[in-house]
Amino acid sequence: MDLIIFYFRKLFTILKKEVLVLPSRVVVILFFLFVLLLPVLPVIGNDPYMLRIFTLTCIYAIFAASWDLLSGYTGQMNFGHALFFGVGAYSAALLNHHIHIPPWGSIPIGALVAVLAGLIIGIPCLRLKGTYLALTTLAFPIILIGIVFAFPDQLGGELGISGIERIARSKVISYYIIAIIMLGLCTIMWAITDSKLGIILHAIREDEIAVRTAGINTTRYKLLAFSLSGFFAGVAGGLYAHYMRIAGPSTLEVSLSFQVVIWSIFGGIVSIYGPIGAVFVLFPLLELLRFWEQGRTLMFACIIILILLYMPDGLFPWLRDKIEKECPRCKKRNFWRRKTCRICTAELD
Amino acid sequence: MDAPFLDIKGLDKSFGGLRAINNVHIHMAQKEVLGLIGPNGAGKTTLIRLIMGILRPDTGSVRFRGKEVVGRKTWTIVNMGIASTFQNMRPFRRLPIIANVMVSCQCPRAMKRGEWVKKIEAKAMDALEFAGISDMALEDASTLSQGDLKRLEVARAIATEPDLLLLDEPFGGLSPAETDLMAKSIKRLHKGGRFGRLHSEGPAMIIVEHKLQQLMKIVDRIVVLDFGTIIADGPPEEVVKNEKVIEAYLGQGGV
Repeated sequence: MDLIIFYFRKLFTILKKEVLVLPSRVVVILFFLFVLLLPVLPVIGNDPYMLRIFTLTCIYAIFAASWDLLSGYTGQMNFGHALFFGVGAYSAALLNHHIHIPPWGSIPIGALVAVLAGLIIGIPCLRLKGTYLALTTLAFPIILIGIVFAFPDQLGGELGISGIERIARSKVISYYIIAIIMLGLCTIMWAITDSKLGIILHAIREDEIAVRTAGINTTRYKLLAFSLSGFFAGVAGGLYAHYMRIAGPSTLEVSLSFQVVIWSIFGGIVSIYGPIGAVFVLFPLLELLRFWEQGRTLMFACIIILILLYMPDGLFPWLRDKIEKECPRCKKRNFWRRKTCRICTAELD
Repeated sequence: MDAPFLDIKGLDKSFGGLRAINNVHIHMAQKEVLGLIGPNGAGKTTLIRLIMGILRPDTGSVRFRGKEVVGRKTWTIVNMGIASTFQNMRPFRRLPIIANVMVSCQCPRAMKRGEWVKKIEAKAMDALEFAGISDMALEDASTLSQGDLKRLEVARAIATEPDLLLLDEPFGGLSPAETDLMAKSIKRLHKGGRFGRLHSEGPAMIIVEHKLQQLMKIVDRIVVLDFGTIIADGPPEEVVKNEKVIEAYLGQGGV
């Protein structure tokens, strides 16, 4: 009993001294709580339609964060990120439909197939940079759509593969499974970018030749970025296939590839939390704008353009800079109302 | 007998019709400090890039401790023990300075040699300490001045613990005081020893430089390049009196 109280106290101290001092950490905690408590919230939770929207939001959040890992952090501009999503979705669907592997098996295997896809497109793309890489990667999902249409008997053609097993019987449990996977994977992605590996990936984005002269095998790290990103996007694809119970050509479409770019740039690339937050803002927003059905994409575009006009670095880094300021001496972040730094007590201007 | 430390034989490199490097032979002993000078466009930077494997020579060979370097990837060459800095500094601008050095600290060579170093941050900090910019470790690299960027380049290169260090204009764009500091750092590095967690066995160096007065204090030998060919090779005092060298720098009928 004493031990429990001890750990409770410890938890409370950590909460008070580490989390509550920074608004961004409080926001992250609130976000976790919101995602976990969503089904019991009064207005949204009771509505199966809203629950469905937020389930898809969670799936796309994984997808957008994985794009940021590859294109934001490592700087390998990928305009065909839907490839990983589609490969993950189709592999999970095929495994489940033909061999009857349950979702907990088919989604990871599908993600591994997406890793393989990442390596296959990563190897020819190693020598390419910038726009050339973007255009080349754009081609791969289109090629795959061609393959899907070429084998309608095996891959379902335009109709896709339907009749896949559900993740769980009830909608709420499906939501919880997907939401917890989302929170877990996004935390892992954030941890990757915050680690020593993240520094190398970031350095590759800045200057690849300089990284080579630092003795780092850039080929290996770029392929690692491709496969990591492919893995996370593949998980998202597998979850999508099992949630929607269909894996169709829409998972490979160019529009999905660009959607993820829009989300990430709106939320702020090179941050991981930016794209996740952006999906949670933009995806429900698009549904909210249904009151004017014809003009909703127009309004959607206007909102994005207006926000990017005033916040060129993306919405969430902008917000973060508003509520926090960096200590000029120790570079730790502080609440914006503070006069002195909480770590080194230097004066904040 | 040991294989020669660095042996460059018959190196050739052309860009289109321009012969940037023309049949260059350089032989270097261990722990030697070599100055590489020449007028603009003489091929000094090209030579360094050829050794580092950033460019590939048309013909010729570069042997480092008896192992062929030409045709290997840049990172393999670095892990064999050759490091270089860039003439036009190429820091990772959006990363903090310490993270810039941590990239080099993570190369296999540095990881293997610093077996008792668990924290690469600490090692990176020592490299910065050596280069004299440790007080700014947390700033973004984009905020640095020219002189500090040069030092960052040096810190990044020595963090791989090289046996052969190629410095491309380490004094370029530095004020006289900064130049003195940098020259002292280079001498200290060449003497070898332990700088915190960083271990230096006194690497051999090739220094490309225009500031001859400073260079002459450091180097044992100077090689002069002009239009890709070596026109003089010898101790500093002899080279500066060489007529060919004066002609290359000042033009015919100069002095």
